Amino acid sequence: MDNHLQLTETPAADAAGAPEAAAPEAAVAAAAVKRQNAEEKTGFWRDQWKRAYKYRKLLWFILPAALFTLIFSYVPMFGVLFAFKGEDFNLYTSSGGVIGALFEGSWTFENFGKIFSNPDVGNAIANTLIINVIRLALCFPLSILIAVMLSELKQQWLAKVILIIITIPNFLSWAIVIGIWAGFFSSDFGILGRITGNLMTDPNWFKPLVVFLSAWKGAGWGCILFYSAIMSIDKTYYESATLEGANKLQKMWYLTLPSIMPTIALMLVLNISGMMAVGFEQVWTMMNLSAELQNTQMTLDTYLYNISIVNADDIPFATALGVANGLIGLFLMLVGNAITTKTLKRGLW
Amino acid sequence: MEEMNMNVQDTAPVFAAPKAPKKPSFFDRFKKNPNKIHESLLDKILGVLNIVLLLLGVILIILPLLNYFSLAFNDGAFNIEIVFWPAKFSFDSFNYIMAGEGAVNFWRAFGNSVFITVVITVVSNLVEAMAAYPLSKKDCPCRSGFMMFFIITMLFSAGIIPIYLLMVSFNLINNLWSVILISISNVTHLLYFKTFFEGIPTDIEEAARLDGAGELQLFFLIIIPMSLPIIGSCCFFTIVGTWNGYGSALLFIPESTSGIPNMPLAYYIYYFMGNAATLAQYDKTGFLGNNIDNVQAAMMLLSIVPIILMYPYVVRYIKSGLQIGSVKG
Repeated sequence: MDNHLQLTETPAADAAGAPEAAAPEAAVAAAAVKRQNAEEKTGFWRDQWKRAYKYRKLLWFILPAALFTLIFSYVPMFGVLFAFKGEDFNLYTSSGGVIGALFEGSWTFENFGKIFSNPDVGNAIANTLIINVIRLALCFPLSILIAVMLSELKQQWLAKVILIIITIPNFLSWAIVIGIWAGFFSSDFGILGRITGNLMTDPNWFKPLVVFLSAWKGAGWGCILFYSAIMSIDKTYYESATLEGANKLQKMWYLTLPSIMPTIALMLVLNISGMMAVGFEQVWTMMNLSAELQNTQMTLDTYLYNISIVNADDIPFATALGVANGLIGLFLMLVGNAITTKTLKRGLW
Repeated sequence: MEEMNMNVQDTAPVFAAPKAPKKPSFFDRFKKNPNKIHESLLDKILGVLNIVLLLLGVILIILPLLNYFSLAFNDGAFNIEIVFWPAKFSFDSFNYIMAGEGAVNFWRAFGNSVFITVVITVVSNLVEAMAAYPLSKKDCPCRSGFMMFFIITMLFSAGIIPIYLLMVSFNLINNLWSVILISISNVTHLLYFKTFFEGIPTDIEEAARLDGAGELQLFFLIIIPMSLPIIGSCCFFTIVGTWNGYGSALLFIPESTSGIPNMPLAYYIYYFMGNAATLAQYDKTGFLGNNIDNVQAAMMLLSIVPIILMYPYVVRYIKSGLQIGSVKG
C-alpha cells in the first residue's frame, strides 16, 4: 500500500524530464518546493493523464482479468440485497427471474436476527471453532516439527525422499483421501477397521478424524515451507554452536526455531485468519458417510451449503448467514494483516 | 557435472600423473575420525529416534494407500482376505471401467475433467499474467487502485447464494462452464506474477521497443519466455487444484441428474462413493453389485494417473526448495 506514496512523489522528477536518480540533491529539493507551491490537484491529474497516455496500449492487458473479476466477484456482491428480503420472497414464482424476484415483495432486517436465535447456527459455529482450534494446536506445530526433524537428518537425500513420499496425499482429492481412509477403517478389508471397527461413521470420532485427515493430507506439503526456511539458515551458526558444546535439542530450540520465527508467525496469522472455514469438501464428504454425522456434526461451511443448495427453503436467511460469515472472515483477515504489518513489516498480501 | 568432467580431461597431464589420493574404502566409514567432534550419547539417541519417527510417519502414509489400492487388483469375492496385497489378482474392475458398458460412466467424467482443467489452466493463467504485466510497472496509472480492485475479492465474498443465483440467471446450472467461469479469476496467481515481473530488468523491454516490438509481441515473445518458472508453478497449482477440486461442482452441478453428463472426475468419485449401491441396481452387466469397493478403488487409481505423471515436477520443486508460498505480493 506504499504505492500511493510513490504516485505523488515521482511526478516532479518526471515532469522536469530528468531521471530521478540522476538529479542532484538540490534539484530534488527545489522540485519538492515547486511541487508544493504548484496546484497539487492539477499536477496529480496531469501526471495521471500523461502516464495513462504512456500506458494506453498496456492498460488493455488488465481488461480481461478485470472483467472476470467484475462479473464473478463484484456482481455477486449485489446479491447481499437478498439478505434483506421478507418471508414472501420466492425465486420461482417471480416473472422477471432472479433480478425480478429481488424487487418484488417486502424488505426486512429480520434475517440477521434469526442468525442468533437459530440453535443450528450456534452448533455449527461451535463445531467449526472446536475443529479449528484443535487443528491449530496440533497440525500446525506438526508441520514445523516434521521440518525440523527432516533438517536434522544427516543424510539429506533421505530427507528429500521422505519429503517426496509424505507430500503424496496432498495431491489426492478429498474424495480419494476419504475413500482410502473409509477403506482402511472398513471392517471387511481394512487393516485398522478389523481391529477398531468403523470409526469413520462414529460421531464421537468425527472431529478427531477431521483433524487427523487434514494432518495426513496436508502436513507433508505444509512442512516444505518451513523446511526450505531451515535449509536457508547459515550452516556456520550450527558449526559454532557445536564448538560451543550445544547439543541437538539446544540447537533446535535456540537456533533453528528463532531463525524461522518470521515464517512461523506469518503462517500462524494466515491460519487464524481462516478460523471460520474448515475445508468444505473434506467435511461434507466425510459427513456423507452416515446420516448421523449430518445431524450432529455440521460445520459453518457445510451448514451454509445445506441450507443454500440442498434444502433451499429460506434463501434470504441463508444469504444473511453467508454475508455474516463473509464479514467475520473480512474482519479476521484485516486483523491478521494489521498484525503482520506491525510485527513482521509485511502484509498478508 | 559435465563441465567438471571436461575440465579434468582438458588439464589431464600427458606424462606420469601425480599419485591420486587414496580412495576411501568402504570400511573407513566405521573407523573413528580423530578430526571430528563426536556426538554425545543424547544426540545419538535423538538421531536414532528422529529417523525412527520419520520412518513411522512414512509408513503411516503408505499403509492406507497399499491397503486400499490392493482392492483395485482384487476379486470382489476375496476382499475379506486383503492385507496389503491383493488376495486374488484380477483386472476385472479395470476392464469393467474401461469398457464403460455398465452403470459407471468413468470416461465421460474423465473427459469433463480434462476439458475444464485445460481451459481453466490456460485461460486463468494467461489472463492473470496479462493483468500482472502492466501492474508490475512502478509508474502504471491507478496502480494501487487496480490492485485494491483485485485484492478486495480475496478478502470478502458475499457467500454462495449470490454466486449460485448469478449462475441461475446466466442459465449455467448443470453446465461445466459455470465451474470454468468461476475459477478464472485467481488473485493469488496475479500477485505471484506481479512480483516476478517486477524483477525483470526493464532494459530488455526498452531494447525490444527500440527494435519496434509492439506491446503484445513484447509480452508474448519476451516476458512470457523469461517467466517460465513462475508460469510453470502457477499452471501446476491450477492443474492440481482443478483436477482434485469439486467444491464449485458441488454448487453448480446437481447430483440428482441421472446421466451424469456434466460431472468432473473428482465430483463423480464423490458421487459414486455415496450412490454406488443405487448405481449397482441399474447395472446391466451385474458386475458392479459384487465389486463396488473394487471398482471404486480402481476408479480412484485411474483418476490419479495424470497427477502421477506430473510427479517429476513435484520432485524438482521440492529439490529446488522454491519458496513460492513466501513470495511477497
